[in-house]
Amino acid sequence: MSAFSLSRASVVARKEWVDLLRDRKSIFWALFAVAISGPLVLCILYFVAKSVSERIDKTTAAIVNVAFAPDLVRHLERRGIKIDPDPADYRDRVKRGELDAVIVIEPDFQQAMAEGRPAKITLVTESSRDRSAPIAAKLSREIERYAARIGSERLMLRGVSPVVASPVRVEELDLSSAEQRGARLLQVMSFYALFAGLMGAIAAALDVTAGERERQTLEPLLTTPVTAMELAFGKWLAVSAVNLLAVTISLTGFLVALQFVPLAKLGIPFSFGVREFAGFMAVLVPFAFMVPAVLLAIGAAGKTAKEAQSSLSIGASMVGLLPMISFLRQSQPPWWDALVPVNGQYATLSKVLRSETIPTLDWAAMWVIPAGIIVIALFGFARTLANEKLLAGR
Amino acid sequence: MISANQLTKKFVTKERSSAFTLRGKTREIIAVDRVSFEAEDGKITGLLGPNGAGKTTTLRMLSTLLTPDSGKAIIDGADLATQKVAIRQKLGVLGDAKGIYWRLSPRENLLYFAKLQGMNRADAERRATQLIDELGLGALADRPTQGFSQGERMKVAIARALIHDPQTVLLDEPTNGLDIMSTRSMRELIRGLRAQGKCVLFSSHIMQEVSALCDRVVIIAKGRVVFDGTPPEVLSQSGASTLEDGFVRLIGSDEGLFA
Repeated sequence: MSAFSLSRASVVARKEWVDLLRDRKSIFWALFAVAISGPLVLCILYFVAKSVSERIDKTTAAIVNVAFAPDLVRHLERRGIKIDPDPADYRDRVKRGELDAVIVIEPDFQQAMAEGRPAKITLVTESSRDRSAPIAAKLSREIERYAARIGSERLMLRGVSPVVASPVRVEELDLSSAEQRGARLLQVMSFYALFAGLMGAIAAALDVTAGERERQTLEPLLTTPVTAMELAFGKWLAVSAVNLLAVTISLTGFLVALQFVPLAKLGIPFSFGVREFAGFMAVLVPFAFMVPAVLLAIGAAGKTAKEAQSSLSIGASMVGLLPMISFLRQSQPPWWDALVPVNGQYATLSKVLRSETIPTLDWAAMWVIPAGIIVIALFGFARTLANEKLLAGR
Repeated sequence: MISANQLTKKFVTKERSSAFTLRGKTREIIAVDRVSFEAEDGKITGLLGPNGAGKTTTLRMLSTLLTPDSGKAIIDGADLATQKVAIRQKLGVLGDAKGIYWRLSPRENLLYFAKLQGMNRADAERRATQLIDELGLGALADRPTQGFSQGERMKVAIARALIHDPQTVLLDEPTNGLDIMSTRSMRELIRGLRAQGKCVLFSSHIMQEVSALCDRVVIIAKGRVVFDGTPPEVLSQSGASTLEDGFVRLIGSDEGLFA
């Protein structure tokens, strides 16, 4: 075989690029999906966060036997909580989710209070329902605050300083910065950026591999002096360019959406400026070149586009599933986690969002590992392209 | 000039009854069995045989797509075993797969292959325009080939095979699926290549077509050469009165094309 000719490879790349962009429908829908999904998720997040904070602000306390504890009711009202007196069927309604939490006051509440016995209050909740939890926690906190006030008043009446009754005072020092708390919510953004780096490549990779075989254009191509490696390289460049376009569109979509979604109003101080954009690109560019190489190597083995598509779904679910491990993991990730493709990218993107300093080793991993995978995948791709058995259709 | 000497190709197939069958039956098929023939410059050589006789496999070996298991072939002085790139430059191939890029225009299809053949831009454009004119594709030259008729697509495919003005041309069933008018213009084109002194090797399963065009006929059946000579010799050697009868007798089966 002749030596690798870069000019022939670039002829292939240019032809594939033109050909791919003429496939207007596939390209449009792939890029549209990528452009819209990020902002859409951002909007959903915004509305979820907004409704939660609204519900907490407008907490209504359902109180059974409200007449037995007028002092507590006054305390709650002063704290801006509306009172829903004596709800009927409250157990069923809590169970059904119509009420978030119900305070039940025992009939002898005032008597116990007067005699200095602990006066009993029951807080009826449904702990398996996530959306009720913040409301229940807020009510519980307010009741404790009320109890603490009464307690200190009693001590003062007896001439004892309330400090005596508080031998330990807990103060929380939260080391996360405001950006980091916001970033936790917006880790989905890392996920969608990676998602874009996959979506942009799938249709194009299918088209230039199994599509080429199915349209019977691979065989004529292989009777020209072009080598399988030149074909593989050119096709990879073209698909990567499309993929890079998808990634850029996805990030731009996020940037634009962030201008319109007032996250700061909800107390989510989230900055995605030039620095974050550059950091994202530094991670996503090698990723956007790596994914096509792998997809092409897989896709080339398919005799038909349908066959290739079903094998490509493995790659697609890997990108979907690997970040779930980081998402759900409770313990510290092992050291090699940063080296696993997709997972490493996800972790580094999250660090960029959290404004953490990223070690040089991590940056190296973001570039060296994809480069290695690209080389291996391209060799595999070239081998499959020229495979006699696939050519003869057997 | 093509000289094939004892070319042989075997295929090993694995037959699995379902996706979950682990071990399938392996079957060895000898697709081409020690095929030898010569095709000279300035002559049209026909490779004739029923479906599945080994014509396409023979042409695929000559066009460097498949590596022969044994045997040799020399094309224009280049050895098939060692000088694949040289052969690819000398050969124009219209193979079994005649697909063209349907999002590209005929001109773009041609220019792509011209550049892969190493032609410079000016030469490539001149030659593409020349072929487009010769084949009467002028009105369609810059439209995407999607929606072209079978004949129009075939014209683009043959122009692509000839883009680098090769000395030797391999055509695998070039008239398959064409109507009478397109078939006639394809024959004209093949005769035109002979007039230019090219070596044309084309395959067909239609005796009449081969006899109308060829200077020499090589008949293949079940992977073996069963006849090599001129069309009149088909009659004399088989003792038949018509070419079709002669063909059927030579391939040794009354079932003919359906064997």
